[in-house]
Amino acid sequence: MGDEYPSLFRSEQMSLVQLIVPTEVAHDTIAELGELGNVQFKDLNPDVNPFQRSFVGEIRRIDEMARRVRFFANEIEKEKDVIPVRPLYDSAPLVTVGPRAAQTIDELDVKLSEHESRLSQMNKSYKDLSDRLKELIEARHVLRETAVFFDRAATREIDVRHSLDDSSAPLLQHDDREQQYSAAGDVQLDLEFVAGTIDRTRLSTFERVLWRMLRGNLYMNYIDIQEPFVDPETGVETRKNVFIIFAHGDLLLSRIRKVASSMGANIYPIDANADKRADSMREVTARLEDLQIVLYNTGANRRTELMTIAESLASWQDVVAKEKLIYETLNLLNYDVRRKTLIAEGWCPTRDIAQIQLALRHATEESGTNVPPILHELRTNRTPPTFTRTNKFTEGFQTIMDAYGIATYQEVNPGLFAVITFPFLFAVMFGDIGHGFIILLAALLMIMFEKKLAKSDLDEIVGTFFFGRYIILLMGIFSIYTGFLYNDIFSKTTHFFHSGWTWPEQHGNGTLTAISNGHTYPFGLDPAWHGAENGLLFTNSYKMKMSIVLGVIHMTFAVCLQVPNHIRLKRFSDIYTNFIPQMIFLQSIFGYLVVCIIYKWTIDWSKASTQPPSLLNMLISMVLSPGSVDPESQLYRGQATVQVILLLAAAVCVPWLLVSKPYLQYKEMQKTHGQGYIGLGADEAPREVEDATLEGEEEGNGRAIVEANDEEHDQHDFSEVVVHQVIHTIEFCLGCVSHTASYLRLWALSLAHAQLSEVLWDMTIANVLEMTGLIGLVAKAVVGVLWLTLTIGILCIMEGLSAFLHALRLHWVEANSKHYEAGGYVCAPSHLRWPVC
Amino acid sequence: MSSSLPTLFILAIAIALGVIGWFTTRKGPNQTLIRTSILLTLACCYLMWSVTYLAQVHPLESPRRAFVAEQ
Repeated sequence: MGDEYPSLFRSEQMSLVQLIVPTEVAHDTIAELGELGNVQFKDLNPDVNPFQRSFVGEIRRIDEMARRVRFFANEIEKEKDVIPVRPLYDSAPLVTVGPRAAQTIDELDVKLSEHESRLSQMNKSYKDLSDRLKELIEARHVLRETAVFFDRAATREIDVRHSLDDSSAPLLQHDDREQQYSAAGDVQLDLEFVAGTIDRTRLSTFERVLWRMLRGNLYMNYIDIQEPFVDPETGVETRKNVFIIFAHGDLLLSRIRKVASSMGANIYPIDANADKRADSMREVTARLEDLQIVLYNTGANRRTELMTIAESLASWQDVVAKEKLIYETLNLLNYDVRRKTLIAEGWCPTRDIAQIQLALRHATEESGTNVPPILHELRTNRTPPTFTRTNKFTEGFQTIMDAYGIATYQEVNPGLFAVITFPFLFAVMFGDIGHGFIILLAALLMIMFEKKLAKSDLDEIVGTFFFGRYIILLMGIFSIYTGFLYNDIFSKTTHFFHSGWTWPEQHGNGTLTAISNGHTYPFGLDPAWHGAENGLLFTNSYKMKMSIVLGVIHMTFAVCLQVPNHIRLKRFSDIYTNFIPQMIFLQSIFGYLVVCIIYKWTIDWSKASTQPPSLLNMLISMVLSPGSVDPESQLYRGQATVQVILLLAAAVCVPWLLVSKPYLQYKEMQKTHGQGYIGLGADEAPREVEDATLEGEEEGNGRAIVEANDEEHDQHDFSEVVVHQVIHTIEFCLGCVSHTASYLRLWALSLAHAQLSEVLWDMTIANVLEMTGLIGLVAKAVVGVLWLTLTIGILCIMEGLSAFLHALRLHWVEANSKHYEAGGYVCAPSHLRWPVC
Repeated sequence: MSSSLPTLFILAIAIALGVIGWFTTRKGPNQTLIRTSILLTLACCYLMWSVTYLAQVHPLESPRRAFVAEQ
């Protein structure tokens, strides 16, 4: 296969590249590479803490800008009437590269701070005005409500006066006196008082405190203010009461004032004179009106300001996020102060180097300088990261395999094959046309509304299903196919072709046995089996054999995937030390079993001279008593000999696997030793000294700066090879047996699925099918809904999840263990697009 | 009379389809993916169909059903 295009078959070939970037183009270069998004920069200053890096100042500045942008976004969000934020694709792009980049950023900074100061000033004046407004409203309330107290107090005053004036009046005749009304309205009231508002929840405390402090020398009155006060900032409602306290003497009054202020009450100066009160009421009302107009204007101004901000908010957010990433990336580079250059190192796909070169040239042109950044590849003995390009279709499948382990660099990626084998194995366990159709429908809906769903934030569970929508799509399609083969549609059957069985004429009660009419049902299971007494007997035998056939072929395929790995990584000896013996071992026992299964099917046993053999017993006796086959039930002539040969071949493979690889390694080591080389324990230590002296001449060219910082020890330890190979051999040979048996889960799960859907049908719909009339109709509707709910909930979702899990296991354990090393680490290129979108 | 030969015919057809699929896949970033998918789909579907078919060519078992005479 050509390497012209990137494919899922292997991870990308990576190169370690070094970029030498003059400081003046550094920003634009990183911006350009970030847009491209395929270079993973390495941290060249691992010892420097984040506060001592070269671009801390810029990052601080960007952070400050980001804070301002966030402040605007918050303000816009808080606004009650929604302010439309112009989306990013619709707003004018803010160019932050090129010769005017610095200026653009400066201007943006200034603009942001201007907007911020203007906005916060407006917020402040709005808040002040609202406070004033609140105070005035409270004052109005106090004026209005206290009038009632004064009126009442005035009448009482008169009574008191009268009782004092008339010294001969008996003290206890107060009640009679009260009835009298005197016209002495102009009597001056000289009681002093404090009036104000207080939070209703504090009122009782306030009253009690005052009572105790003044020892009861007060007269307190209060009244509820009906409408609540709403805080414009937080939107919290507070309910307040107007109170008025009459007391005598400056000392008491000052005490009351102190207590009131400490309890958070607002005190308003109220005049005892009714005329003056009326005056101030007028004044307050007039001021209130004025203030409301001013407040409205301020609010409108603020809204206009916010709308101006909303026009370009998205592009600011975008620019700020990008700039931050750019400077964070720049901080990873090595800054050479003397020569005003930055040195970058990173991994990039080899095929993209030309593209990167182009991007570098473009960045130079954009920035208007003539010193281009220099890119060259470095030689390294380090394993590059694994970089697999996926699209929205393959992403899900690749994630399944990445969850098992990241592929070793340039290894065959099982994710490519999982695209088909995963849904197929799932469908073998989930075979039902109806259920397949339901999940296909679900997947199609998710794909149709892909864009809409991707934007809305789904919760975790729905999000997971949405992420796997293409997996579900293929699972649905394959389930419909296997459903046709199993001839199951919601546990019922279809009848498209001529059945291979004819039911004889029926005479009385009893069991009927169908007679073969020479046809074979061409596609799928013969409908005659549906509802037959021995239907399960047949489907069990069929599904069991099918899972063995599919399993052995899947494992064989997985073993074969070793070969491209061995060839690509130039481990040719592995082909005959690992691949060939493994293949022979697998095929001589289990491959033979598959051949026998198929061969047995092709023989017409009704005409054969021998009895059909039990294949399970055959396999057991092949291993336990080699060389002896019962002639009564032999599959073919010479079976005993063939089986002995196969068994011997398998037996030879075990020591072959065990010994050959360590032996080759041993010989290799002998050869190098014979030539007089010795292995260096730590070959980096002497180089360190050399590097220091070389630095002057080479000026850092062509030498990786963090070479071997995190390099693994790759020492060829012979004993390790032996141990590894022993484990590998045992694992493979035992694995062949247990993994083949493990594929029987295909049979078990498909059987369980079919039975469960049959039980569900029998227990719900089958009971109401016979009913007629209105009751029947209602019963059918109710039971139908119940049946559909259970079908979706249990058969599609729960059974589907279990089949998914088992398909996952078959891929991870049974197939991956045959070839997948999964020893890689993932490549995370710097990218400027994802954080914003 | 039923025989196992149709599986071979269909195999030939599946292989032919695979070859056609291999050569008609256009070049592009998804060529490998499409080719692999076509081949694997054909292989899986053929395998399962042929197993189902072969299992019914010379059945050892005949379906039995209990009937109750209707009166």
